[in-house]
Amino acid sequence: MISASHLSRRFGSRTAVNDVTFEVARSEIVALLGPNGAGKTTTLRMLAGLIGPTSGTVAIDGVQLTRATGTALRTRIGFLPEAPGLWDRLTVRENLRTYAGLYGLTDADPRIDRALDTFALSDRASTRAAELSKGMRQKVALVRTLLHDPAILLLDEPTSGLDPEVTRSVRLLLDERRQAGCAILVSTHNLDEAERLADRVAVLQERLVAIDRPAELRRRLTTGRLIIRVAGDPAAFVDTIGRIVGPAAAISVERETLVVRVAHPERQTPALVAALVEAQAQIMEVRAETPALEDVYMHLVGTGGLGD
Amino acid sequence: MSRERIRALLRKELLDLARNPTALVPVAIITVFSLVLPFLLTVAVPAFAGRGLGEDAGLLRITAAAHPPAALSDDARVQFFLFEQFLVLFLLTPVTGALVLAAHAVVGEKQARALEPLLATPITTIELLAAKLFGAAIPTFAISFAGLALYAGGMLTFGEPGVALAMINVRSLLLVLWLAPAAGLVSLQSAVLISSRVSDPRTAQQWGVLIIAPLSGLFIAQLMGSLWFSAKVLAVIGLGLLVVWILLLLFSVAIFERETILTRWT
Repeated sequence: MISASHLSRRFGSRTAVNDVTFEVARSEIVALLGPNGAGKTTTLRMLAGLIGPTSGTVAIDGVQLTRATGTALRTRIGFLPEAPGLWDRLTVRENLRTYAGLYGLTDADPRIDRALDTFALSDRASTRAAELSKGMRQKVALVRTLLHDPAILLLDEPTSGLDPEVTRSVRLLLDERRQAGCAILVSTHNLDEAERLADRVAVLQERLVAIDRPAELRRRLTTGRLIIRVAGDPAAFVDTIGRIVGPAAAISVERETLVVRVAHPERQTPALVAALVEAQAQIMEVRAETPALEDVYMHLVGTGGLGD
Repeated sequence: MSRERIRALLRKELLDLARNPTALVPVAIITVFSLVLPFLLTVAVPAFAGRGLGEDAGLLRITAAAHPPAALSDDARVQFFLFEQFLVLFLLTPVTGALVLAAHAVVGEKQARALEPLLATPITTIELLAAKLFGAAIPTFAISFAGLALYAGGMLTFGEPGVALAMINVRSLLLVLWLAPAAGLVSLQSAVLISSRVSDPRTAQQWGVLIIAPLSGLFIAQLMGSLWFSAKVLAVIGLGLLVVWILLLLFSVAIFERETILTRWT
């Protein structure tokens, strides 16, 4: 498990990260979202021990990351930077062999073969990195990050530049790593990816604006609108609904659906459904309108937070 | 300190260089220059002029500082003296290596965006700097020693009788096997240090030029005959340089700031 406690980082007079506290547990993926310059890369670099915080601490399984502990703790971290950072004149295998040596892996070649196979890169093992496409380079960088089976993965936009097929394979791989017990922090601009992949989403904008499960974040930004679809003319049930939610409630008919604004959807929805059934409405669908994660994100980075 | 990590990075450095041999061309040119110049002045010029080196009384007089073997002819004595003097040229090879290879060591990785993943591994600063130093030193010294072998071969082939054998003395050996590697380590270490403190390779090279200055002064003073270092003095200078190298290495480690290197681009 990796935890950040009151992490702050200033560069001169500019504050990049301000008092950020969160943790990523074993078998958990946390997606780090935020606009450009929000401090995502700086946070990842601090967690990887590449740069020190101005204040606050990073701990891995309770051991504080310091200059003294950094070397030992870095063996447990797999860090993928924004740029693949391959050595262009070396082949894919030579790149990976060097990193295997740096991590002290004794069974380098079988590991490399397995990893290349996982990413369908076996036929590129002898290709120089300079000759690889952007997507291939990113894949090799991912292989490099995972080569030593790290318990903690810190990934800065891992699917950037990858085609949908490879993106999917990366997601599957990260899911496997999560099931194997990895704590994974992924920075991304891809909200769909964050929602599909992450157990929790952290929105960063210099400070930590919100961190929660995607569904919970959406719920917190609920519109309070209830969508009811019935067979036949929905206008026939406006009065029935009005009796439950009050005449002042906004009820509108949009095509075949009734849209009702309710103050307490959890409390009022069962009563509403019961009234409609009693009125012999043939209910096709009842659901609370929830915002897309993108709407939540835009709201968060626009307002700087969500109320509880 | 992990020798395995140093080996891993050193292997990468050498592989990288093997794929980019043009990077060694300046080192090779300096070595060729160090080879051609002495033979041009001690063999070709007298042959074309039709006048032996020993016929120059002034030149003959200053050869005494080199204590040439008494059995040598006047021409051979001057040639011996000049060959000894020009041996210092081979100190320039590692300095060139420092400028073209070591100056890129850290900042080159940064520019290629390869430094960040590298620093995220368990490699320590001293391991990184050691690998970078030896990555520049091994090819540089290899070229330098190849040049010295050719120098010896040239003396045997073109030199006056007895000169090549006379060159095998304590002073020459100290210069080649003690002072040159020590001076090489100092210049290479200085270049690695500079490389870790600047934000682009061009600036590193500009600062690296300063490494040449003391050596150039030494070379000019030697050629003018105003300086002649005895074997004992060379031994002491070599020892001093090794101490300087160790201090420079420790200083390089102490001032190596991972985060500054990663985050500073100006």
